[in-house]
Amino acid sequence: MDGAFAISQSDKRPMYLQIMEQIKQRIAVGDWTEGQAIPSIRQLAVDLQVSVITVKRAYLELEREGIIVTQQGKGSHVASTPGLGARLREQELEQHLEQAARIAALLGLRPRQLEHRLREAGDRLAEKEII
Amino acid sequence: MRGSVVGHLILKDWRLQCLPILASVAAGALALAILQRGNETAFVVGSVWLFVALIVIGCMLPIFAIVNERKKQNLAFLMSLPISNMQYTTAKLVSTVGMFLAPWLTMVIATLLIVQIRGILPHGTIPITLILLMLPFVGFCFIAGTSLVGESEGWSTAATLVCNSSYGLVWYFIVKIPALTLTFKSPVAIWSPTALAIFGSELASVPLMLGLTFFLQSRKRDFV
Amino acid sequence: MNRHYPNGLAIELEGVGKKYRFFSLDNIHLKVPEGQIMGLIGPNGAGKSTTIRILMGLVHQDSGEVRVLGHQMPAEQVAAKWDIGFASEDMRLYESETLAWHMNFIQSIYLSWDAAYAQVLLKRFGLRAEQKIKGLSHGQRVKATLLLVLARRPKLLVLDEPTTGLDPVARHEILRELTGVMTDEGRTVLFSSHNTQDVEQISDRITFIDRGRIIDSMDKEMYLDRWRRLRIEVPFGIQLPALPGIIGVKQDGRLAIATSNAFDPDVANAYESTGARIQRIENMTLEEIFVANVEHSREEVEA
Repeated sequence: MDGAFAISQSDKRPMYLQIMEQIKQRIAVGDWTEGQAIPSIRQLAVDLQVSVITVKRAYLELEREGIIVTQQGKGSHVASTPGLGARLREQELEQHLEQAARIAALLGLRPRQLEHRLREAGDRLAEKEII
Repeated sequence: MRGSVVGHLILKDWRLQCLPILASVAAGALALAILQRGNETAFVVGSVWLFVALIVIGCMLPIFAIVNERKKQNLAFLMSLPISNMQYTTAKLVSTVGMFLAPWLTMVIATLLIVQIRGILPHGTIPITLILLMLPFVGFCFIAGTSLVGESEGWSTAATLVCNSSYGLVWYFIVKIPALTLTFKSPVAIWSPTALAIFGSELASVPLMLGLTFFLQSRKRDFV
Repeated sequence: MNRHYPNGLAIELEGVGKKYRFFSLDNIHLKVPEGQIMGLIGPNGAGKSTTIRILMGLVHQDSGEVRVLGHQMPAEQVAAKWDIGFASEDMRLYESETLAWHMNFIQSIYLSWDAAYAQVLLKRFGLRAEQKIKGLSHGQRVKATLLLVLARRPKLLVLDEPTTGLDPVARHEILRELTGVMTDEGRTVLFSSHNTQDVEQISDRITFIDRGRIIDSMDKEMYLDRWRRLRIEVPFGIQLPALPGIIGVKQDGRLAIATSNAFDPDVANAYESTGARIQRIENMTLEEIFVANVEHSREEVEA
């Protein structure tokens, strides 16, 4: 389960943000579901070979965003809010769309051209899945 | 805690130095073998060799057992163990003196036995023999103590030089003391007051030097 | 959380000083809470090794109090050392003996030796117990020394440059074991290093030391939060004002780099209100923070 976690040294973002992002991705993708128990702060720190304080911070921030819940003495689990996974997927989509818009602007594409490219990408994906 | 840490350190030293110890005992045994042949040449050769063996052991032991440990940076490893510097000093002195005593006592006893059993020399020579044989032991304690306190090969070498250059001089004076040499021919060992005084001060110098070593070690504030 | 020691501190140095002929440690305050990993960073000759030797009781301080695992040092060093695993860069094992001999030696002294874990470590570190120490490479010797310390599972690990001179694979192996120690929240680690990347990765708290003085000590995340580099475009004729929290500005023509050790977004606004344009606000790596901190502290001392 935790083999898929990786902290990148070359990623300039703080480690705790990387951890938060990867946890959100797990939930978005459906690997971790609502209410499911997740590794304790200490355990994840050991598995990732990072300091406890970094994982603690990531968990605190995630708790603040309502994504996980940590209970004294009972460990941590994904928040039981229904549709959490879907919500996180939505957030990710938003982020990617914003990024696409930004890059399109740099390339000088107009919104209609961006729309076209997006439709093409969707079609390509559909083809692959049929095959 | 299984057994005392000091005990483990002493055993460790004996185990690490067992080859040098065996070599030294072998050298001494050879000297004695020559000595007991009985004729005059054998006696001179054997007795000189015996003393040389004891002096060499007295010089090499502190190097192997004390100086090298510091030079090869094993000291930090040992001091990370649950011991104080005084416990280290105790372990070191006990093990090193023990390593010297093994060949030395053997040779002293063997020499005396040879003198007695083989009758090579009359018993009147026993006091001076013991006094002369004590010298390497006194010298060794001086070198060992200086090596431990001095913390460098330099100090050890200086102490060794002082000792080795003194032996000849001390011998010269001792064999000139009438109170010791006059009793040579006697079939019985006679301990004159002079002989007792000299032997006594040799014996007393050992705990004195070891005590001084302990005292100086305890004053150290930077141990490693 | 269990608090085994006074104030829950595994290590406490208060006002510690030590004077040598050409170097002195000055008013060292250091607190390492139980259950944390503390990284000690400093240039060569800063006083890391001396500080570590003082807390191990190997060197007697001239002034100040030292308490390790609740014991006064150096007076109670024997009691303390039962629970401390110490390894330093200048420490050597006996060349003529095997690793197995050393393992037996340690095992005969300490009750807490975990033989099964020792075997696991032998495999993980790629070491063979029957090998003599003199036949090992530098990296293998370091790993051997650490194995002897780790297999005892001591409450406190004090390591002076544990990863120095090691190849990346060996470093990774060691960092893995050091973070593994954290599974038990009653165990503490203090390690010193040049390698800021290692320290940044696994430390909970970080202390900077330079020229015999502690220049900073706090939670790692706080360092990373407080320090920023601002890249500023300065139009001709504009003078950048001195602002709180900005410890240094380097300007080359129209481009300036401002370094802050107490970052506040208001600072960016303050610059922009003078007509300058903020190109980028960057986080700093621990290495950059360390270098900037040392330069700043040296300037302050000289002033």
